[in-house]
Amino acid sequence: MTKKNQTIWYKMGNIDYRWLYVLSLIGFILPVLQPLGLPVQVSSGTIGYYDAIDKLPAGSVVAVSFGASAQLLDEQEAQFLATWKILFQRDLKVLFYCPSQDGSLLLQNELGKQVIPESYGKKYGVDYVVLGYAPLGEAGEASMSINIRGVYKADWNNKPLDELPMMKDINAAKDIDLLIYFYTSCTDIEFPIRQWVTPYKMPTIVATLGCCGPMAVPYFPTQIQGFLSGSGMGTELEVHGKVPGPGALMSDAKNIGILPFLAFFVLGNLSYLGKRFKWGEVKTP
Amino acid sequence: MIWTDTLGALVAAFFIISVFTMLWKDNPVFRLGQQAVIGAATAHYIVLNFTSVYKNAIIPMMGGNLLLIIPLFLGLLMYTRLKNEIAWVARYPTAVLVGVGTGVMIAGTLRGQIIDQMKNTVLDLYNSFSAGSAMNVLNATLILIGTITAITFFTFTRKHTGLLGWSAKAGRIFLMISLGANWSGELVWYATQTIGRLSYIINYVIKIVILGG
Repeated sequence: MTKKNQTIWYKMGNIDYRWLYVLSLIGFILPVLQPLGLPVQVSSGTIGYYDAIDKLPAGSVVAVSFGASAQLLDEQEAQFLATWKILFQRDLKVLFYCPSQDGSLLLQNELGKQVIPESYGKKYGVDYVVLGYAPLGEAGEASMSINIRGVYKADWNNKPLDELPMMKDINAAKDIDLLIYFYTSCTDIEFPIRQWVTPYKMPTIVATLGCCGPMAVPYFPTQIQGFLSGSGMGTELEVHGKVPGPGALMSDAKNIGILPFLAFFVLGNLSYLGKRFKWGEVKTP
Repeated sequence: MIWTDTLGALVAAFFIISVFTMLWKDNPVFRLGQQAVIGAATAHYIVLNFTSVYKNAIIPMMGGNLLLIIPLFLGLLMYTRLKNEIAWVARYPTAVLVGVGTGVMIAGTLRGQIIDQMKNTVLDLYNSFSAGSAMNVLNATLILIGTITAITFFTFTRKHTGLLGWSAKAGRIFLMISLGANWSGELVWYATQTIGRLSYIINYVIKIVILGG
């Protein structure tokens, strides 16, 4: 090994990366074993999201576009469970539809098990309806906003929409008071903006992954009234809406487990700068 | 708990741990887990897609909605790509998709994503001055400067010298900050997935399935 490679900057840059994994795994596991209850600061996006639901008059119709993904359940579970609880606590009509196949499967698995609408006094067909999966995409969203029955003839149990009391007067964007848009592909934020917000001035809130948040922020608060980005903001909604769920544990573990990453960022950058500017090296003539 | 639930939980735990072994180094257990997950996911989506076509096209068609033959036929044409001699046929359904997609999005893009975004960028600053909040003024000013300088970074018709050069450099810094925010979101997302699976193993597989808690 040359003398140059023995400087602290080189040693710092050559720490075995597996130490990072070991330290962060410990950081992730400890709060799972013993939740810490670390404080949560509620951000303006979450407050806007909550307020958009909370300020709806009784009897308002909320459409929930549920494009969640099974593979990314951990990132969105806190968001949608808290949202459903907040919706069912209020006198609202909730219309679920799924532009992703996984969304339909997740609804089947979680609605009625994790959150039971009937325990809030809600009745299927009267207070909430689930339309199931349709391969919507942007063109489908545009169709939904014009004529729901053109896309869905029946609900997920193949019951014709006209036989469901709640659906009697609901068939287009004009009959809906709030759109809640769950999605996992970052650019999908553009679908509700282009097909619901721009043409109909539809009040809209969105929930997505942590990595997609920066693409939703430019639309807040003028075009969308609130947004949730990742499980962290799902936890914020649990706290702000007083609806406990799986987010708290997730946030505790994330707060601790992410610290080794921050430490390694600092070490890595110091190493880079130290090598680049030759800090501490003796200049030979 | 019925035995299938127990078996399912143990198999899930095995594959989760097999994926985690990659943190140490590449190994046969990781590759087994990786390939099993890819295989299962592919099968899962094939079944879902087939079911979707059956439910949304075949059944309504058998019920008399013969117009659905058109999209179904266009969809089938996509498979002509599999044979080189007739691969050109797939251009027709592709053209329909591109045409419909562009038609549907163009109005919303112009109004919602260009005009409204530009208007809001300026109005934010004006409103924050009116509201008299120093932090809002700072935020709105930063957004306005970031927007203008980032746009100048993508101006390629003139050489980046003088004022344009300084603006483009500032724009590059704003872009790097934006990419950093995106990447940190990715990192936290991976952390969430890891915690979710660890929590599944600890709180469900170990505590409930194995220890019967």
